[in-house]
Amino acid sequence: MSRPLDFKLYVITGENYHPGRSMAEVMEAALRGGADIVQLRDKESPKRELIEKAKRLKELTAKYGVPLIVNDHPDVALAADADGVHLGQDDLPIEAARELLGPRRIIGISTHRIEQARAAERAGADYIGVGPVYPTGTKPGRQAVTTAYVAQAAAEIRIPFVAIGGITESNAEEVLRAGARRLCAVSAIVGYADPESVCRNLLEKINAWSLGEQAVVPASLPISVAQTLPERRDVREIALTVNGRSERTQAATLLELAAQYKLEGRSVVADLDGAVVPRQLWGETPLQGGCSVEFVHFVGGG
Amino acid sequence: MRKEAEEQERYSRQIRFAPIGAQGQRRLGEASVLVVGAGALGASLAQHMVRAGVGRLRLVDRDYVELSNLHRQTLYDEEDAAEALPKAVAAAAKLRRVSDRARIEAFVADVDRRNAESLAADVDLVLDGTDNTATRLLLSDVCFGRGIPLVYGGVAGSEGMTALLVPGEHCCLRCLLGADEPGGDGAPTCDTLGVISPAVEMVAALQAAEALKALTGNRSALRGTWLTVDAWHFAVKEWKLPPPVEACPNCGWGESAAAASRELAKHEGFVHAEDDLSGEDHGDTADEDLSGDEPESEAEDALSGDDSEAETENTLSSDDSEAEKLVVLCGRDTFQLMLKPSVSLGEWRRRLAEAGCAITADNRYLLRASTVEGERIVIFAEGRALIQGAGEAERALDIYRHYLSDETRRRADEPSVGF
Repeated sequence: MSRPLDFKLYVITGENYHPGRSMAEVMEAALRGGADIVQLRDKESPKRELIEKAKRLKELTAKYGVPLIVNDHPDVALAADADGVHLGQDDLPIEAARELLGPRRIIGISTHRIEQARAAERAGADYIGVGPVYPTGTKPGRQAVTTAYVAQAAAEIRIPFVAIGGITESNAEEVLRAGARRLCAVSAIVGYADPESVCRNLLEKINAWSLGEQAVVPASLPISVAQTLPERRDVREIALTVNGRSERTQAATLLELAAQYKLEGRSVVADLDGAVVPRQLWGETPLQGGCSVEFVHFVGGG
Repeated sequence: MRKEAEEQERYSRQIRFAPIGAQGQRRLGEASVLVVGAGALGASLAQHMVRAGVGRLRLVDRDYVELSNLHRQTLYDEEDAAEALPKAVAAAAKLRRVSDRARIEAFVADVDRRNAESLAADVDLVLDGTDNTATRLLLSDVCFGRGIPLVYGGVAGSEGMTALLVPGEHCCLRCLLGADEPGGDGAPTCDTLGVISPAVEMVAALQAAEALKALTGNRSALRGTWLTVDAWHFAVKEWKLPPPVEACPNCGWGESAAAASRELAKHEGFVHAEDDLSGEDHGDTADEDLSGDEPESEAEDALSGDDSEAETENTLSSDDSEAEKLVVLCGRDTFQLMLKPSVSLGEWRRRLAEAGCAITADNRYLLRASTVEGERIVIFAEGRALIQGAGEAERALDIYRHYLSDETRRRADEPSVGF
């Protein structure tokens, strides 16, 4: 790989989700909406047909400067000059795929638990899929791994990981909160009348969380990088616990901290060191080093 | 005398529980509670209250029983679903079989600004079994305005949260969530996360426990916390509830707070008419209440009869935007809207059948029809309609325009012209 792979919104084809509309039409809408990596998944078509589909998609994704990944078949990826392949746990081992595809093509693999993620990282995968986070029609019968596995991957895995499985606009926040910074969706994007705006909305959420993080200087940031950041010596930075995770922040009040997590306008209850803080008082509630904050999303059902 | 012995026997194990005792049990018998919503939480809460022996239970719900409710709404059965009975009606029927001690008032209605005040007018405690943030905020406003403790509960997925908010002691729900919250903005619901029955029952049990403490005069035993619980990845967390926010018109030091502290000073256990507790006569009064079927309460007046219809029409005529009338209901692909003008169920039956719909349920409370395209239309006697299976609001509005608007009727009444 000439440049390190990164992406935010991974979209997978699912022709059965959009009868009456062509794959090209639907995928182009997703690309317009900002999808920055595309996978051709088609378990039905014979290989010859698959290669044709891959070639057509490759033309489209190239127009948008977005990599095309082929599900399951390294040979199809090569034949269509796709950018990479995505493997399942029961497919070709990563090492074997790497031999076929060479060092420059992308290899991703689905993982369902942390051991598989570690193994994939060791074997030289360029990214992993983490899921299914929620039960999904695309993989019926597969046990959902929940956001707990997302959090595990976020804490441990260094290669890009993308959360997948039942992710929609309405639960994306939850997945991001668990630590995902790349999301993948199939039916929630291609199954909708307007994939473009679904993509836009999902990207907006992803960006909000990524930006929230950039505002916090990670403690582990190498010195060389830290020096390129604007001078902030006069700004106080404290260590605190936010929803059970150790964080550092320059936020002086609960309100500023909530803003960093993009919680304005959301139904969230804030708890500081064992007591709930009314919303109006967030702005006048200072944060002390070592404090513990929990933001709890208000549960709406009944 | 025999009645008293029966009463003793019936509640003997609860009375033996020291913090409740005979006095607590008597207080429960004097207590009036409002349970808003008779879904998973609400039906469970109503059952807890009736079994525990509250004197009066007022139950209000806007929905009807469906098969998809049965995995978690333990008061209902397949027959209720087959008959498409309104939840309030089905619940009341079951609860009356559970106990004849409680006076049960059931209302099929959507709780809104027009009826919330009268529903809460004469109760000691409000239990939240609703499925949306907007109604909860409304309940908070009403309860804090009237000095009535509110037991919030919410659930989604395997998670739930609950808190007993006491006016004068804690801040209101609006203060906790932010005063201008539109409500329902991404708060997880049964619709988005699904829901499992154990999570519902955990939250309902915690709500009911706080309610029992409050109603039996065990104020010092109240948790005073905001509690979250997860039934799957077992976890319980709680945080102390904050005091009233001075600047808040609902829980702050305004009129309402003064009223609230007056209430609290008057009733140690939140139960009204404490003076009567020691009175021998009171048992008789309660008996009369039990036998009396005439609508006595303000709530029944407001919700039944011509008054409410007139009110409904007034509100609707000031509400021209179709989109504003659409409300998304929890748990299913359901939109709610008010119909204009009020037409009888029989007339709706005729119109929908004429428009090609199949009538799939028809009882004195509601009419359910299946559109030609397969969506379901449910019309309640009070003029409220649900559109189910439409997927998107756009389609729901189409269905409304096609089957339920005035235009439909005019078209239907016009002599048909051959093409």
